[in-house]
Amino acid sequence: MSSPLAPPTPGPRSARRLLSPGLLFALPFLVLFAVFMLWPLGQGLWMSLTDTSLSAHSPDFIGLDNFSEAVRDAEMWRALGHTLWFTALSTVPLVAVALGMALLVHTGLPGQWVWRLAFFAPYLLPVGVVGLLWIWLYQPDLGLYNHLLDGLGLGQVAWLSDPSVAMSAIALTTLWWTVGFNFLLYLAALQSVPDHLYEAAAIDGAGAWRRLWSITLPQLSRITAVITVLQILASLKVFDQVYLLTKGGPDNSTRPVVEYVYDVGFTGYRLGYASAISYIFFALVVLASAAQYAALRRREK
Amino acid sequence: MTATPPPVPRPGPTRRRALTTALAAGAAVLGAGALSGCGAAQAADGSTVRLWDLFSGADGGLLNDMVRAAGPDMPGTGIERTVLEWGTPYYTKLAMASAGGRGPDVAISHMSRLAGYAPTGLLDPWDLDLLAEYGVTPDDFADAVWSRTRFEGRTYALPLDTHPFIVFYHPEPAARAGLLTKDGTLDTEAFGSPDAFLAAGRELAAASGKQGIAFGYVTDSAQGWRLFYGLYRQTGGVFRLPAGGPAEVDVDRMAEVIAFMAKLVDGRVNPRRLDYPAAIAAFANRQTAMILSGEWELGTFRAADPKVGAAPFPTVFGTPAVYADSHSFVLPRRPHPDAGHRRRTHRAVAALLKAGQIWAGAGHIPAYRPVTETAAYAKLRPQADYARAQSHVVLDPAVWFAGAGSDFQNAMCQVLQQALLGGLAPDRAARAMVRRLDTFLSKPSPA
Repeated sequence: MSSPLAPPTPGPRSARRLLSPGLLFALPFLVLFAVFMLWPLGQGLWMSLTDTSLSAHSPDFIGLDNFSEAVRDAEMWRALGHTLWFTALSTVPLVAVALGMALLVHTGLPGQWVWRLAFFAPYLLPVGVVGLLWIWLYQPDLGLYNHLLDGLGLGQVAWLSDPSVAMSAIALTTLWWTVGFNFLLYLAALQSVPDHLYEAAAIDGAGAWRRLWSITLPQLSRITAVITVLQILASLKVFDQVYLLTKGGPDNSTRPVVEYVYDVGFTGYRLGYASAISYIFFALVVLASAAQYAALRRREK
Repeated sequence: MTATPPPVPRPGPTRRRALTTALAAGAAVLGAGALSGCGAAQAADGSTVRLWDLFSGADGGLLNDMVRAAGPDMPGTGIERTVLEWGTPYYTKLAMASAGGRGPDVAISHMSRLAGYAPTGLLDPWDLDLLAEYGVTPDDFADAVWSRTRFEGRTYALPLDTHPFIVFYHPEPAARAGLLTKDGTLDTEAFGSPDAFLAAGRELAAASGKQGIAFGYVTDSAQGWRLFYGLYRQTGGVFRLPAGGPAEVDVDRMAEVIAFMAKLVDGRVNPRRLDYPAAIAAFANRQTAMILSGEWELGTFRAADPKVGAAPFPTVFGTPAVYADSHSFVLPRRPHPDAGHRRRTHRAVAALLKAGQIWAGAGHIPAYRPVTETAAYAKLRPQADYARAQSHVVLDPAVWFAGAGSDFQNAMCQVLQQALLGGLAPDRAARAMVRRLDTFLSKPSPA
């Protein structure tokens, strides 16, 4: 704010260097980031070292007791297993189906914009709508799917109440809901594959399959890696659609670790223990991300 | 810098100004919202007693009628209801508000949840002297319920009602099956043993022409446990849950009860895989002649069959016991309660209890006995027929993790469902339940 004619004083200048324009622009975000991310992170870490519960008593510091209890907690490992199972069950089709749909649309189905819209539209729905919709689709007697199966004479499936089917049903819902985003990423990547590669291949007499295998797929490998990473991280934090469709049932067979944290903390009132579990999960996710990153780096080289 | 300044433009809608205005308006809206939120949470009006409850639908309408009827008993005091959705989140909200000392003046809680609330300091005790001034004393409540309101010598809950798990029946098929007594009530003796109960089910099925007894439990987080625990307590078996564990229970008797439940939902005489709404529909549409259900469904059933009958759950295993819970009034913790406002709250609750006759319309048994002892109540059918269930009700075990809407009930229901639906052997199911009990007991209490 100093006048341009005033001799520069050392004070403001060093302050200005400290508050470079970039930092100034980032400041509002940094403040929010600190208040809503860093502080809760620290607070949560502290809570995980105490026996904080939803009560009027003040919590005590108990060291690593929560963590040692969590490591021996079979339910936690089971819930972690469900999260990993869901991640595997959802990531593969979410990448593969998105690629398939993008290829179909890109290679010239008539009425491209209809397909783009139809494939992407479910992604715009809030999870509450998706949950309610699919609860109706999965209804034992009146639901669309069982109605169709009955019509084909295949018998009914207890979509959400059979422990061996429920997780797949949730993965199917997730596929329908979020595949549009990956589809869009693939579509964008497909449009940036240079045409001259195809022309050259055509001159060399390559057929459609040959072009797909030797040009399209290799050209898409980078975006595939990105989509896979994003998808794995998104699947690991699954909670909302499970909570809405099955509340983790039947027999907790679909309860992901995030819902276990919610159950322990908000219905069991043991906030300290819930924090400890979420930090264990956090550590595992960080490890997984680091491993992915390292693998990607190696491939880039 | 000597040039004359350019003429100041007339204030018009520049982009910056528009943005500033929009921001200011947004801030004003946000601020107003936050303020009104505070107002709602802090009782702007001193004469208003704020009540949190979980009664929607017909129950909610009746509670509004009660508030109106109680008006003359509490001049100058208004009751402002906040209706929250029933279920686990209700208790989370109540606990969070109480922990912060910013809860409502009074709230409805299930009595079975008290063990998780009173010891953790989330509730303030009721002042019995103050209540006596307004005509409510401990003698006015059934012992079976009143004994559960106490913790360390103080009273933390005032029961509004008892809501037992009972049987409803359609009178015509029940009469054809010869299961009614001369005065037209259910002959509960005919259900007096596991075999008799199953035989009565067959007769009901024959009389209804379809199926006998409906019980909805599939994917439900309470029904299986309600039926199981009531029946188990009828066997007289111990069910002690010492802190830290292990649970002291009679596994053989548990298995016996589970075996009986599995036979009950055999899929031939009685429907096998009903969830809660399907069971309600099956009974209301007369697919079955009887249903095992909570009395709170009375309104639904009466709409389908004005003559619907009801009876306390029959004593199948020897000792009379009926599973129940109780809606009760609790005082969420306040670090610095205002004495005058507390007095007003006591008076309002006393007035509501005395208006309990209206509450009986929902099917619930009013806990305040001067109401159930009136001639007007004795005329209520079928409510009066099952009111005697109140004398031998059993509530959930008094441990912090049990009670209505708890993870514990859900865990027990999941094992029971496997036994009833998935072919898990009764003795293995009983042992699985004990294992889960021990897990719950091994966790430190939040108190």
